[in-house]
Amino acid sequence: MSSKISNVTNQLSLNIHCQLDAFKLKVKQTLPLNGITGIYGRSGSGKSTLLRIIAGLSPQATGKIIFQGSQLLSSDEKCFVKAEKRQISMVFQDSRLFPHLTVLENLQFAVKRRLTNTLNIEEIIKLTELEDLIYAPTATLSGGEQQRVALARAILVEPKLLLLDEPLSALDYSSKNKLLQLLNKVSQQLKLPILYVSHSLAELQQVADKLLVLNLGQVEAYGNIHQIIHKLNHQPESQHEHVEYSMPQLANQQTSLSLPLKNINENHQLITLALGEKQEIQLPFNTHLSTLLKENTEQKKINVRCFVLATDISICLTEPVDSSIVNQLFGKIIDITVHQQQVLVTVNCQQQDFFISISSYSLDKLALRVDLSVYLQFKASAVRTHIR
Amino acid sequence: MNNTNPDLLALITTLKMAGLTTILLLIIGTPIAWLLARMKSRYKVIIEAFVALPLILPPTVLGFYLLIAFSPQHLPGQIWQQTTGQQLAFSFSAIVIGSILYSLPFVVQPLQKAFEQLGDNLTEAGAMLGAGPFDRFFNIVLPLTKASFITAASLGFAHTVGEFGVVLMIGGNIPGETRVLSIALFDHVEAFNYTKAHILAISLLIASMVLLSLIYLLNHPKNQKQNSVKRVKA
Repeated sequence: MSSKISNVTNQLSLNIHCQLDAFKLKVKQTLPLNGITGIYGRSGSGKSTLLRIIAGLSPQATGKIIFQGSQLLSSDEKCFVKAEKRQISMVFQDSRLFPHLTVLENLQFAVKRRLTNTLNIEEIIKLTELEDLIYAPTATLSGGEQQRVALARAILVEPKLLLLDEPLSALDYSSKNKLLQLLNKVSQQLKLPILYVSHSLAELQQVADKLLVLNLGQVEAYGNIHQIIHKLNHQPESQHEHVEYSMPQLANQQTSLSLPLKNINENHQLITLALGEKQEIQLPFNTHLSTLLKENTEQKKINVRCFVLATDISICLTEPVDSSIVNQLFGKIIDITVHQQQVLVTVNCQQQDFFISISSYSLDKLALRVDLSVYLQFKASAVRTHIR
Repeated sequence: MNNTNPDLLALITTLKMAGLTTILLLIIGTPIAWLLARMKSRYKVIIEAFVALPLILPPTVLGFYLLIAFSPQHLPGQIWQQTTGQQLAFSFSAIVIGSILYSLPFVVQPLQKAFEQLGDNLTEAGAMLGAGPFDRFFNIVLPLTKASFITAASLGFAHTVGEFGVVLMIGGNIPGETRVLSIALFDHVEAFNYTKAHILAISLLIASMVLLSLIYLLNHPKNQKQNSVKRVKA
C-alpha cells in the first residue's frame, strides 16, 4: 500500500515520463483534487495515457506520483502501488461491463471489493436512474445505459479519485446530455474529485472547473476552464512549436461563460443572466434548467454555465433596433486575428471577452479595427447552458 | 487385484492416468497459456514451438528421450529416486509425466486463444474496482473462458486416453501400473484375440465420439450464452 510522505492531502502531484514506441509523455503538474478537472487535447496528445498512468495501468511509466499525500509511484525508490490498491476508479470509453453478470451483479462486484462502506447501493442506483435495468444482462443495454452502469459501478467502489476516459464519445446527443447532468450531480452530491478526459471542449465546458491541455505528450496550459478556453481561442497557430498543432480550429471557437442568474421570465420561457452591472444575456428556459432550479433553493447564488459558438455571433456597427434577436451587447474590439479567409474578432463587453468568427469580406466591408466600439448580436437559442 | 479382469484393470489405470494428467495439465497449462497470451517478446515463438512440439513429434521419439531422462543414470531419474525412493521409469508416475508433456498443446492452445480473445480490457476494469490478480482470474477470466477450459480439459483427457507410443516406451506393460487400454488393445491384437480387441476398440471409439460431440455441442454458437468470450466487447 502507499506510504504517507506529505501533509498535502488534497492534490495530485505528477512528475512523470512515459515512452510508448515513438510517443513520449512528459507531464509535470499539480492538480487540486476538488470538483471536475478536464483534460483536453487532440487525438494522440497523451490524455488517455496520462489517465492510465495515474490509474496504475501503465507500469512502464517512470517518475513520481503523489496522491493525497501518499506516494503511488517513485522510480527512484522503486515504489509502484498496484492499480487495485490505489483507490482510484475509472470509467472507460467502452464501459467494460462484465458480460457474464447482470447490471446489479456488476454493481455488487464493486461493493464487495470496496474498502469503505459509506455509499448505499440503492441510492446510487436511484442517482444513476438504473432502477428499471438492474436485472438486465449488460449486453441488452444501450450505449448510454452501459455508461451509466459503468459510472455507478465506479462510484460504488468508493474511490478517492474518479477518472473518466472519454465516457461520452460513443453516445448520441441525448445520452451525452443526460450523462453530463449526472456527472454534475455525482460530483456535487458525493464530493468526489474527477479527472475527465475529452477531446470535446463543449463537453468539458459543461462540467469542468479546471482544464489541463495536453499537446504531443506535454502540458500546454492549465487553469480555470473559461480562461483556458479563451486562451486557446486567442492563440495563433504560429506560436505553436509544431506545425500540425491545430487546436482548436477557428470554426470550433467559442465564448465560455459562467454568469449569475438574474431572473426567470416564465411567460416567455427565458432566463436572464447578468453580464456585469449593465448588460444581460437571455437564453431559453428548458426543462433541464427548470428541474435544476427547483432542486436549488438558493437560486440567487446560481451561476449558469453557457457558451456561444464564435460562428453564432454577428457584429453591427450601430445599435440594432426592431430585431427579433434578443441578445445585443455593446463592447469594444480588442483583437482581430486573420486566418486564411476567416477572421476571429475579440470583443470585450463588461470585462468579458467574446469571440466572433466572420469572413474577411465582412471585415473589409465593416472596416473593423481594434478599439472600435461595436454591437454583438446572437439569438437566445445560440446560448448553450448547463447549471452548476 | 489379481482376480480383476485385466481389461477392467487397464480401464481403471487409463482413467486414473487421464484424470490425473488432465488436472495437472490444467494447473500447469493455464499459467503457460496466460503467459503466452500476454507475452510480446520475440522469444514467444520458441516457447510456442516447444509447447506444440508433441503435435508433430512421433510419440516414440518423445518416449525414447523421456525413458533416458527417467532412468536412474540421468539427473531427473536420480532426483526422483532420491526423493521418493522409487524408480521413475516404468512407473505410473512416469506415464503421467509423459502424458502431461504429450498432451500439453491440447490444453495450452485453446486456453491461449481464449485469453488472447478476452484481452486486457475487462481485467483492467476489475483492477479499477479493487480486484487483485487471483480475484480477477477467478471472477472475470474463468467465467468468461469457461467453454475453452472445458474444451481444453476434454481434449487433454481424450488425447491422454488414446496415448500409446509414449506410454509403451516409458511405462512398459505392467498390469495395474502402466498397462493402459491402448496397450491392452495392442496385446489382444498380437494374441489374435479379435473379439476382446473389438470390444476395447469400439468402446474407445464410441467414448471419443461422444466426448467430441459434447465439445462441439458446447462450443456451438447457439449454446454459447452471454458468458461467451465472443460477446465481450473489445
